[in-house]
Amino acid sequence: MRVYQVPSHTRLWLALAVVMASLPQLLRGPEWQALLLVVVVGIRWLVDRQRLSLPGRITRSLLLVVAVALTFYSFGRLYGPEAGVALLVSLFALKYLEVVRQRDAYVVVVLGYFVCATALLFAMTPLMFAYVLLCMTMLTTCLAGINHSDTRASRFRHLGRAGAMVLQAIPLTIALFILVPRVAPLWNMQLDSGKARTGMSDSMSPGEISDLSESSELAFRVAFEGAVPPPQERYWRGLTLTHYDGRTWQQGIPRGMTEADYLYTGGGNIPDWFQALRSARTAGQSYRYQVIAEPTQRRWLFALAVPFPDFRNEVGLARDMRLVADKPVSQRFAYQVESVPAARPAMALDGRERDLMLSLPPEAGGKARGLAQQWRLESTSDRAIVERALRHFRDNPFHYTLRPPRLVTDPVDDFLFRTRRGFCEHYASSFTFLMRAAGVPARVVVGYQGGERNELGDHLLIRQYDAHAWAEVWLQGQGWTRVDPTAAVAPERIELGLRGALQDSEEGTVLDNLELSSFAGSGVLGKLSQWADYVDFRWQTWVLGYDSAFQSAFLASVLGEVTPMRVGLALVLTVAGLLAVYALFLLWQAGQESLTVMEREYWRLHRKASDKGRPLPTGLTPQQLSHAIGEQWPRAASAATDWARYYQRLHYDPDHKPENKQIRHLRSLRNRLYKLLD
Amino acid sequence: MQALDKALAQVGRVVLGKEEQLKLALTCMLANGHLLIEDLPGMGKTTLAHALARVFQLEYRRVQFTSDMLPADILGVSVFDPATQQFSLREGPVFTQLLLADEVNRATPKTQSALLEAMEERQVTLDGVTRDLPSPFFVVATQNPVDQAGTFVLPESQLDRFLMRISLGYPAPEVELDLLAGGDLREQVKSLGPVINSDGLVKLTRVVHKVRASHELLDYVQRLLDATRSDDRFVAGLSPRAGLGLLKASRAWALVSGRDYVLPEDVQAVWPSVAEHRLAARQGGSVSAITQSLLQSVPVVRR
Repeated sequence: MRVYQVPSHTRLWLALAVVMASLPQLLRGPEWQALLLVVVVGIRWLVDRQRLSLPGRITRSLLLVVAVALTFYSFGRLYGPEAGVALLVSLFALKYLEVVRQRDAYVVVVLGYFVCATALLFAMTPLMFAYVLLCMTMLTTCLAGINHSDTRASRFRHLGRAGAMVLQAIPLTIALFILVPRVAPLWNMQLDSGKARTGMSDSMSPGEISDLSESSELAFRVAFEGAVPPPQERYWRGLTLTHYDGRTWQQGIPRGMTEADYLYTGGGNIPDWFQALRSARTAGQSYRYQVIAEPTQRRWLFALAVPFPDFRNEVGLARDMRLVADKPVSQRFAYQVESVPAARPAMALDGRERDLMLSLPPEAGGKARGLAQQWRLESTSDRAIVERALRHFRDNPFHYTLRPPRLVTDPVDDFLFRTRRGFCEHYASSFTFLMRAAGVPARVVVGYQGGERNELGDHLLIRQYDAHAWAEVWLQGQGWTRVDPTAAVAPERIELGLRGALQDSEEGTVLDNLELSSFAGSGVLGKLSQWADYVDFRWQTWVLGYDSAFQSAFLASVLGEVTPMRVGLALVLTVAGLLAVYALFLLWQAGQESLTVMEREYWRLHRKASDKGRPLPTGLTPQQLSHAIGEQWPRAASAATDWARYYQRLHYDPDHKPENKQIRHLRSLRNRLYKLLD
Repeated sequence: MQALDKALAQVGRVVLGKEEQLKLALTCMLANGHLLIEDLPGMGKTTLAHALARVFQLEYRRVQFTSDMLPADILGVSVFDPATQQFSLREGPVFTQLLLADEVNRATPKTQSALLEAMEERQVTLDGVTRDLPSPFFVVATQNPVDQAGTFVLPESQLDRFLMRISLGYPAPEVELDLLAGGDLREQVKSLGPVINSDGLVKLTRVVHKVRASHELLDYVQRLLDATRSDDRFVAGLSPRAGLGLLKASRAWALVSGRDYVLPEDVQAVWPSVAEHRLAARQGGSVSAITQSLLQSVPVVRR
């Protein structure tokens, strides 16, 4: 019986395809997987060179047991996305180890398509997509090679063929992507969120936000419809922190309230506070925008005050005027918001709420309390107290710095009266403390301030280093009012962003490594990063954001009414159209006997001369062509004659077979001639 | 190939200012084909034929065709010899190496056919006896294109037997002046010395077969033939025999031009004289104009 072996010209491709398809998992998963693959590829290499016989059944079974055991050891289970993919990649490597026949190779290749697609579960970036496409091309190359019975075939012809096939498949893929109705995923995959991520936490203690400021990772993007607010208005609220224990600010819910009282997710019975908020919407300018959030594993979302979500995508509005998702954001996630800059005091301050906004830990900040109470006595209104506090920060030698000294004993007093050097969280925290101590309801807001504009996509980019904390105070007749004590100390922070604020200080070096990821970076790098961001943004909005809502809107704009009949018809017609284009191309190609290099050379010159001068008849011998050129461009006459002589020798003298060298010479003659045709 | 140049020079001494036509005539001989000269009387047809015979040392005969001519007048006749009591063959003028058939269109179709058959077969059968014609054997036939009264025009199918048709035409003024100033042409022809003998000529015709034609050139020839067939300005396209003739003539032309491989230029040079007399245009079109236009439009290099 004949064993159909994998042809030798395909083995290298197969090895390469296996390594490439596994690579994303190897970079992500435990180290032993990389080791396993190296061992497998090494054994295969030796086997193919006949230095080693294939490992027997026992060895392979042993390897299988070890791989499964290691997977269980690394992940604690064998199911779930991470463990499942890891197991799949290990089995893929072991399957590759036992390839003997063509049939085994088919299995490996088909498995490979699946393995490289799993990489997209973990990263749906354009780069990863391009990589997967490359893997698919590789695997297709293997398929082309396996099916090539000629044992002396050239390796690179397989690659060329596979590349052509993948390219041909792309239009069809795009058509199917756009037209095939989107259904909600049948399963909801929850990826492990255990991994540390840069981003805001749900509490604020000194030093936390300044740590964030050293990361240039993307926090979220915002695409505005219409006007973009000026930098000093770009306060992206994330959380309000109301409970202070003397060191750390945390979220708190007023005593006796439940989340249901606090959160409105659209529909159903509308709570009073939302009703009030909605009726208090001023007719003034509002901002409409889409936020594309990066995964945070948190439920809170970012928006300008006062945000009104469209209550799609499971986005709700909380009583403290911030947006909340119904489950932690584990994938990129886009939501639509309309923000009304200032709402009139819509809601009265509930008594329980008021208690919370004034509560302070009894033991902290003795000196600060004294100062606040003194202001209370000297001032006539809450507003005056706010002004007084800001003046205090302005007039005393407070300093804005990324590297504040450590606060010992009592953080509040220590900062206000001793170190006086701090980052935004210090100012927000101490300001809120002072307000509460003076009897003004106040809370800390954390979020991001600023954002960099990408000219290409005309969207804002908010990075981790834009993280910021500020305060809101309750003023009679005005409601919750934003007060940013940092702006009193370092106005540049608000106007120019973090970099602007620290440019001249000794801390500039800290930011130097952030420079690269910013568009402000000089010249090519800045442009490049702007482009990279633009591609990523478009990928997000057009590809990943192409959900069923987007799809039906898009289809409606193209087809008019969206009915199953119409969508089906469009699908069939598009696919049929594309196939017809392929078929026509093939027919055309079959009818077109492909020209030889020499024939193409002649027609290139003929076309060039006809384009530049008067049109020439088709029935010109090479010599007549050179004469025609010489007549029109006397300067080129001798070069043309040289070309014609050489050409007719190569083309008509059966003794002269045109080799590559001769053809190169002919080309150089033609190029010389080109330069003389003006 | 110096001998060929010399031969051309020799003939050129008596047929003045017709280098192109001389070269075509020589090409025709080298390609072992028969030549038809279509011209008015007195243009130098006889002189040309005679000069060619002299230069190649060929046995030469001339027959003036008339309407009362019978095949026997050309091929010969069996005569009863009373002395031997047997029939013996009296060879006609066709038994020669170069036959000048003057005004071939004056003879009846029957007589014309006899000649044309002999040209094609290079042998004559009389009373059941087949006799080979001498080798080499060339026919140079002439036709008067204008004076058509009482003539029998050769149909295209018959003209196919002639490899080439040329016409000499009036000489250029300065050439004619030289002609007038010169002496007796008949005497001059007699003074022409031989350049190659008939055996040499036979050898040369074999060399023609060795002139190489690349695949690309054959492709061009084929495309030209095809173009005549698909062009509805013609009644019918060129036959495969015409195609073989075209290639052979191109090879001979290349040889006369001193090359051992064929260029498209060679094909184009012999094209009118090989193709035109085999084609008939529909509704009064000019064959010559159409064949010329084909040279312009048929791509020399495949596209």
